[in-house]
Amino acid sequence: MIALYQHRPSPVHQLHPLTKLAISFGVIVLALGLGVDWVPLVLYLLVLVPLSALARVAGPFVRTSLRILLPFAISLFVIQSLFFPEGNTILARLGPLSIKAEGVRFAFAGTVRILLMAGALLLTLLTTHPGLLLTGLVQKGFPPALAYVIVTTLQIVPQMRERASTIIDAQRARGLETQGSLLVRARALLPLIGPLVLGSLLDVEERSLALEAHVQRHNAQDQPLPSAGPHLGAGAQMVDCAGHARGDWLPAC
Amino acid sequence: MIPLALEEVSFTYPSGVTALREISLTVAPGESVALIGQNGSGKTTLARHLNGLLQPSSGRVMIGDWDTRQHTVAKLAARVGYVFQHPEHQIFKRSVQDEVAFGPRNLGFAPARVAQLVEQALQATQLSTVADQHPHDLLPALRKRVALASVLAMDTPVVVLDEPTTGQDAQGVRAIGEIVERVRAGGRTIITISHDIDFCADHCSRLIVLGGGRVLLDGPRETVFAHGDILEQTAVEPPQLVRLAQRLRLPLAWEPQPLLAALEQSQRQR
Repeated sequence: MIALYQHRPSPVHQLHPLTKLAISFGVIVLALGLGVDWVPLVLYLLVLVPLSALARVAGPFVRTSLRILLPFAISLFVIQSLFFPEGNTILARLGPLSIKAEGVRFAFAGTVRILLMAGALLLTLLTTHPGLLLTGLVQKGFPPALAYVIVTTLQIVPQMRERASTIIDAQRARGLETQGSLLVRARALLPLIGPLVLGSLLDVEERSLALEAHVQRHNAQDQPLPSAGPHLGAGAQMVDCAGHARGDWLPAC
Repeated sequence: MIPLALEEVSFTYPSGVTALREISLTVAPGESVALIGQNGSGKTTLARHLNGLLQPSSGRVMIGDWDTRQHTVAKLAARVGYVFQHPEHQIFKRSVQDEVAFGPRNLGFAPARVAQLVEQALQATQLSTVADQHPHDLLPALRKRVALASVLAMDTPVVVLDEPTTGQDAQGVRAIGEIVERVRAGGRTIITISHDIDFCADHCSRLIVLGGGRVLLDGPRETVFAHGDILEQTAVEPPQLVRLAQRLRLPLAWEPQPLLAALEQSQRQR
């Protein structure tokens, strides 16, 4: 999700996150509610694509939505055009199988719906920083502890990716062969996973310590800490502290 | 012992940032070279070309008679050892000894030779007493030495040190300095990337100053430190004693004794 966000100076980016969510869901309801096969495609092309252009993310928007769509589209067209139960109009024969017009139509309708739904949500994600999105949700009553867990998890992903590539480099520099047969690759796994997991655990511990210090600065008087040891309790402390903080710790981005 | 050569090496990251621009230089066997320059000047990018972690966009890098493009990183590891800045990125064994043995084992050395190299490396880094401990139970400063030992044990003719002194107190810096001197005395080539200009002045006889992906200065310490204006371009401040000598209009010196001698001589002349 954080990898999707594209920072651009645009009016769409400046909209309140909930407004964008409302637009996304509105477009989806409209498209599905009308029940006409081609409406989702028209809305995608005439509403979502121009909006993405306005937000200066048209390139990534179209590319990512097509990438999401492709596997669905292929399976829908293959299965529905060949095996649609009420298909009578035969377009072509492939040995014992036949392509039926009703199936193709059904697959088209399904595909454009998926395209619209994926596109509508994608537009919000591309133009809204996850931190802001969650701040907006928390202000409307979304549980802050859950929001914290989501935000930190999202932020850890790119960090982990970067850490993993550095570890791979460090071990290759010590002569570890990472390419070749399955056995060679399997042997390379432990030296890569070890530092990655251990490093991430240390990270979580540091995070929880930082969070504790931060929360204590805010409410200096009443901060009971969990009695579990620092290693076992790190995750629990994070959630606990997030609960105490009641949302004023959310990144101001 | 082998020479290193960069021939008109340019490198552009996939993001479009050009980090090296037509760099040509050679390093003779046994030299102790420091790569200095501000963040983003290309030091680490250049060093990562030496063991094939990065391949030049144009030009070529020769490690002895090997072109880095024709060998895997794992193979090049037999010639160029690279000590990463953060030991946490490589430590995974349960004891210091096993961690240090990992590299030489990967290079396919016989068990007896591995044992001998591990012992030498542990001695050189003064870690023999903690050989059986878990690396993560050691203080961070010692952990850094474990990473250093694990590369020294690979017995490579070239050793690259990425920021060897960060996180070390004065004693730790001294200990690392002693290790570097011992490795130098063994005839191995050492390339140090560092912001610690005092450390570079003490242990590297040749300084290569990088800025904007180009070599701004390359030469012995006295030549490089004399160009304060160029050093400033890439945010490098000469060692304190050098600056003091310059202010006093004395011959350049980066160690107390020569500076004191110069000072006494100038007093006598007055």
